Amino acid sequence: MDDQACPRCKTTKYRNPSLKLMVNVCGHALCESCVDLLFLKGSGSCPDCNVPLRRSNFRVQLFEDPMVEKEIDIRKRVLKDYNKKEEDFATLREYNDYLEEIETIVYNLTNNIDIVGTNKRIEQYKKDNKDIIMKNKVKIGREEVELEEILEIEKQMEELRRAEITRLEQEAKKQKIREKEALIDELMFAEGDAKDILNTFAQNKASKQEELVPVVPKVTQFSTGVKFTRVSTQPTLPLIEEGPLYKYEPLAVPDRCGPDPPSIEDIVACGYLKHVRAETETEKAGGYKSTLPCLRALQDALTGLYHAS
Amino acid sequence: MFSTSSQRKFWTFSDEGELAILREKHNLNYIAKHGTHIDEYQRYNFFLSPDEERLLLKQYELHLKEFCKRFSPPMPKGVVGTAFHYFKRFYLYNSTMDYHPKEILATCVYLACKVEEFNVSIGQFVANIKGDRDKASDIILNNELLLMQQLNYHLTIHNPFRPVEGFLIEIKTRCSLANPERLRGGIDEFLEKVFLTDACLLYAPSQIALAAVLHAASKEQENLDSYVTDMLFREAGQDKLAVLIEAVRKIRSLVKMVESPAREKVRLIEKKLDRCRNQENNPDSEIYKRRMRELLDEDDIPHTGSSRMSLDTSGVTQVLSPSAS
Repeated sequence: MDDQACPRCKTTKYRNPSLKLMVNVCGHALCESCVDLLFLKGSGSCPDCNVPLRRSNFRVQLFEDPMVEKEIDIRKRVLKDYNKKEEDFATLREYNDYLEEIETIVYNLTNNIDIVGTNKRIEQYKKDNKDIIMKNKVKIGREEVELEEILEIEKQMEELRRAEITRLEQEAKKQKIREKEALIDELMFAEGDAKDILNTFAQNKASKQEELVPVVPKVTQFSTGVKFTRVSTQPTLPLIEEGPLYKYEPLAVPDRCGPDPPSIEDIVACGYLKHVRAETETEKAGGYKSTLPCLRALQDALTGLYHAS
Repeated sequence: MFSTSSQRKFWTFSDEGELAILREKHNLNYIAKHGTHIDEYQRYNFFLSPDEERLLLKQYELHLKEFCKRFSPPMPKGVVGTAFHYFKRFYLYNSTMDYHPKEILATCVYLACKVEEFNVSIGQFVANIKGDRDKASDIILNNELLLMQQLNYHLTIHNPFRPVEGFLIEIKTRCSLANPERLRGGIDEFLEKVFLTDACLLYAPSQIALAAVLHAASKEQENLDSYVTDMLFREAGQDKLAVLIEAVRKIRSLVKMVESPAREKVRLIEKKLDRCRNQENNPDSEIYKRRMRELLDEDDIPHTGSSRMSLDTSGVTQVLSPSAS
């Protein structure tokens, strides 16, 4: 990021940490002060490519590569017209071809390939698909409105929740003050032992707190907001279809065609291991035991002994 | 496990007769295919007979043994056994006149090294071969795929070496035999000879191992018969015991009959082979070189001439090793 520099006044990010690069539709960057200077009248031409630009179209460069910014601009413009949805196509293939076409147009415009032809293509498309474009625009607009409504509802919920919390807090404060006053009154006018009065008040407080505690989860449930709770509870765990429980059946041992070799327990018990190299500490750590090669050798020795041609 | 292996299912045959029939078949096939221009009587002078092929292969099995013995770095026994298996299996369905045993021998050992996880690079491998090493590595790599195909990709071999260890552990644990380790010398000697016979195509590796152990014991003037009858086969029944006894007897007699073929005879056969071998598979022949050139012209990729090789004749049109080029 340090080598970010305005191509006109050569100010770098290093020399002016508050440097902000701006880009316009042509994709050439300028720093904020240069934009102020050059576009005093509200419009002018790009110092790099002489394309007429409007000041209001300048925005902060988000990506290091100004070409990306240019592409984003172009894409925004193209997508305004190319706004068909997958539902508008008969087959997936057609939809993919359509997406491919959009990409081609965007690429061509970004890299200055056949701009005239491509713009003609866009115009042609606009003419051919006027109805659908309009319809989809309306649809998108409607969707946006709906989304905003949802956001609005959420905001209201949030406010309600906050109000509720402050109300509760104030109530609790008032309650405390009232209790304190009651205690002082009691101490002032009652005839009993001061210690006893303190104890009874403390007990009362404790029992009240206990009463309050179960309310708390209710509050949090409410405070999560209607939208939230709906979102989080909706994707409940999918029901798992329960078949019969899995039952382990040991693998059938294939015909060995020979006498049965001893089991691992027999190998240990009958002292076969005396005649096999014992495993080292390192080998033991890796899970190797001398019973394994011993058993394998015995198995190999005994299988096939009954083999008859 | 041997009892469920491809070795038992496809490569363990009932008797020597079956092996002889297979060997004779490919010999006759070859003569029928390549002998059309020679009259009936001359054919037998020109081509190798099944017996001659057999003798030649015996000689090459000896070469194989020597090659493995002198191999550096020293080779584990399992590799040698596996290589022997491959060699024998390959020539059950192929003629020595089609593929020269010299070439298949090296390929078998190379493949066995890989399968038995004895890590040797091709460069290290051909360092053990005398003569033109580049040519040798070309031949080996080109034949490798053919060999695997002819083995039907049944590459797992059950050798008798682990069963021998099993029997020794058993004997040490369950018998009162004094110092069973002294049997090892006899066992090793026996197993070395077993691979010069057809025993591994006829019997289970455990049977061969037991034969080796019993043979070594009898050489040491010990008797393990009671171990076999009273312990191993206590629950098996007389019929199974009879089969085993017969198998052990047969293996031992096969090993006893091992003798190296007469040198003079082998020399004559080799001379004969040079004339009647399939020139299409001979890397030194004109016809082979011409085919190589044709292959080169077919696809325009520039390759070095000798690295590509056509392995025609048995339905395999072109098996080309990707690593060969």
